[in-house]
Amino acid sequence: MADLAIGIDLGTSNSCVAIMRNGKIDVLSNAFGEKTTASVVAFHEDGSITVGNAARANIIHDPCYTVSSAKRLIGRYHFSEEVRKAQAICSYEIAEGPNHGVRIHVRDEDFSLPEISAMVLREMKQVAEARLNVEVTKAVITVPAYFNDNQRQATKDAGQIAGLEVLRILNEPTAAALAYGFGKGLEQKVAVYDLGGGTFDISVLEIGQDVFEVLATCGDTFLGGDDFDDRILDLLADEFVVKEGINPRNDPYALEKLKVAAEAAKRGLSVEDEVEIRIPDVLVGDDGETRSLERTITTEQFGELVQDLVVRTFKVCDEALQQADLTVRDLDGIILVGGPTRLPIIRNAVKAYFQRDPQADVDPDEVVAMGAAIHAASLISVEQEAYLLDVTPLDLRIGVAGGQAEAIIERNTPVPIEQSRKFTPFKDFQESVKLKVYQGDSRQSDQNELLGQFEFSGFEPGPRSTTSIEVCFEINADGIVNVIARDPKSGQQASTEITLSSGLSATEMDKILARDRSADIKQAEIGPEDLDEPSFATPMSEDGEAELPQDDNLELAKDGDLELAADGDLDDFDDINEDELMALASEIDSDPNAISVGDAMEATDDVVPLEIDIADQEEPEGPAIGKLDLKTVAIAPELPTAPGADVDPDASMTMDPPETSAAPKVKEDLFDLSDDVNLCEDRDAEE
Amino acid sequence: MSDPSRLEIEALAKIMDELDYYHLLNVERDVSTRDLKLAYYKNSRIYHPDANRNLDAAIQERCHEISKCMTEAYCVLRDPRKRAAYDSQLESGDGLRIQLAAARAAHAKNDAERRTGTTPQGKQFLLKAEDEVRRDNIPGAIQNLQMALTFEPGNDGFKELLEELRKKQKS
Repeated sequence: MADLAIGIDLGTSNSCVAIMRNGKIDVLSNAFGEKTTASVVAFHEDGSITVGNAARANIIHDPCYTVSSAKRLIGRYHFSEEVRKAQAICSYEIAEGPNHGVRIHVRDEDFSLPEISAMVLREMKQVAEARLNVEVTKAVITVPAYFNDNQRQATKDAGQIAGLEVLRILNEPTAAALAYGFGKGLEQKVAVYDLGGGTFDISVLEIGQDVFEVLATCGDTFLGGDDFDDRILDLLADEFVVKEGINPRNDPYALEKLKVAAEAAKRGLSVEDEVEIRIPDVLVGDDGETRSLERTITTEQFGELVQDLVVRTFKVCDEALQQADLTVRDLDGIILVGGPTRLPIIRNAVKAYFQRDPQADVDPDEVVAMGAAIHAASLISVEQEAYLLDVTPLDLRIGVAGGQAEAIIERNTPVPIEQSRKFTPFKDFQESVKLKVYQGDSRQSDQNELLGQFEFSGFEPGPRSTTSIEVCFEINADGIVNVIARDPKSGQQASTEITLSSGLSATEMDKILARDRSADIKQAEIGPEDLDEPSFATPMSEDGEAELPQDDNLELAKDGDLELAADGDLDDFDDINEDELMALASEIDSDPNAISVGDAMEATDDVVPLEIDIADQEEPEGPAIGKLDLKTVAIAPELPTAPGADVDPDASMTMDPPETSAAPKVKEDLFDLSDDVNLCEDRDAEE
Repeated sequence: MSDPSRLEIEALAKIMDELDYYHLLNVERDVSTRDLKLAYYKNSRIYHPDANRNLDAAIQERCHEISKCMTEAYCVLRDPRKRAAYDSQLESGDGLRIQLAAARAAHAKNDAERRTGTTPQGKQFLLKAEDEVRRDNIPGAIQNLQMALTFEPGNDGFKELLEELRKKQKS
């Protein structure tokens, strides 16, 4: 039997699975005949679990035990902004787990986010198996291009828990471009505008000779279709407070009803000019009276509610085009991805911004899964038919003094890539050093995602003038980050795949795999009733008409006119980087000795204080965030394991580095490692 | 994947450390950005880890190393500023590889030097020239800039400024 590998688009709101066989791509529909399945997991009183559209129908009955939009939380720290936002709006309980991770607390049990996502993935796996009639064990899973390493790792974990060998974590826009351009022999530059449930991504790609090269990827992980729903929800809730004097947000049942109404209204507005929302029983007040809600929302009103969100997407587009060194005129096609791109307000705005009609022949809900399927097939086939050259979406940084973070690998650098830097310890005979690795676009370290703290003691302690530590940052073709610290002199090295610091430890993972909850997942029982009564969030039918909820508690009426133009102000782009550079430049001019932060490269003879602290033995351990277990491996000094390892260790210290070896010399940027963040000096061996 | 490609990979892995970026990607020193891109694509078809998943782990590891180095080469050569920094490093025999951040920094430094001068005299005459510009004394500025250029005859930044001033004088 030929090997099979599926492509899964694991979405915030909906997931989709596809397969490519014999050059033909099929989007596999679930037992209900629907091509997308809700990414929702419901935990029932009897201990059973349902996943998918049936689970979504459960939200209004059992909001506290129905988990939706888990993708917004996966791979995040409990203290992160996004988790706070989710807590305000989710009825289920979001708790803190080990290492500041996030756990969902339902019915006296804690679930990690990878476990929740695994249930959705397992559902998709079963959808595929039911259709194909064979077991499927291999998959390509897509993530938003803007996902950081923690989020990617967590998604990979989810796949493993679901019993899948994850062949690749693929970026959604890249997958969409693949589905659009595969096998067509195109020579084009395209933009993929991906507005999902929880995230927005824009990628600019060049397609040629069956190579798909990502030129730039930019995104906003805090912007998605859910935010559009939230705007309607806020409007409904605020008006309800004014009218009734009761805040429906405090009642989980009322909140879910409003949420469902808001989402249905948004969907209605993608095909109608006006929708009417009627909820006869929002809640029962203290006086025992049932309060209702009735309201009409027009496309225009909706447009006003979300205008700033739409404009925000185009600021990100400006950035991506600038990074790719292109203008909209250089593009040959625009691909829309994600359910919210069905909204006329989005389509019109996209058309106005890019000055062309988006591709009409691409289904925004299925295109990502199709691309994932193509890549999955390609990864298990003997002859490769298309090559993806992707980029890293975020700067990889190292913490320096003043709470700042210095970029080692800049965003939009193609992968795989490896870059290294040399450091010297702060003190003579220092025994270990600690490095903090961040991912993000900010020079402020706390505004980036901390991937992990890296402690290295595998070097020979000695006078600092002769001691150097090389730190290698690698991003592999999967987009997964590896960090290696090594002593070029002894060859001793410690390496780690920066394991998800907020995520699951190996032991936890084993435990999860051991307590397999899949037996508790109820398979969808398809009865005529189920088919006749689609749940609230029914996917669009073939002709693009939303199948609106048939619940008497919620009615949508249509009427009125639709128009929504793009904002005239779309192309204004705040060039923050340039401003920062200017500020930095003036700093350099005014005081050559006062330079810090991020400018180490630009002005190497100047003082660069670093926030890299020494882990003194007697020092108490810092916060446990991202503490890594490093395997220290002794490697024979004469067998350096990576390019650059055989650089003369003394070279880092001398004014004129001797060219002793025929091997290429790695340019060295030296930082001192200091326990006093304000007192480090940067030295450059080249100076 | 066929055996010839395995041989290619092993051969390149062996000599990779002795090749500059141009040789690594197998392009001419004056390669255009377009041709550089095509060469990178062509190489990716042979050396990208995805192309060699069916080979043994050791070969895959070599592909990974080659790929990482090729990506680095491509990143440097496709950016005119980084490429200029790399070319000057090659000329001065300072090594065959350059870290991306170092290439960016080297260019920024060159740029700054072009703007402010590299010799004390050059810097001084440039400052005087700028003073004269502020006083609207263009001929005086030109005189000072010519002096600056006698100390730094190769400074393109000075030459550009001089050219600008001469245009201004004519109009």
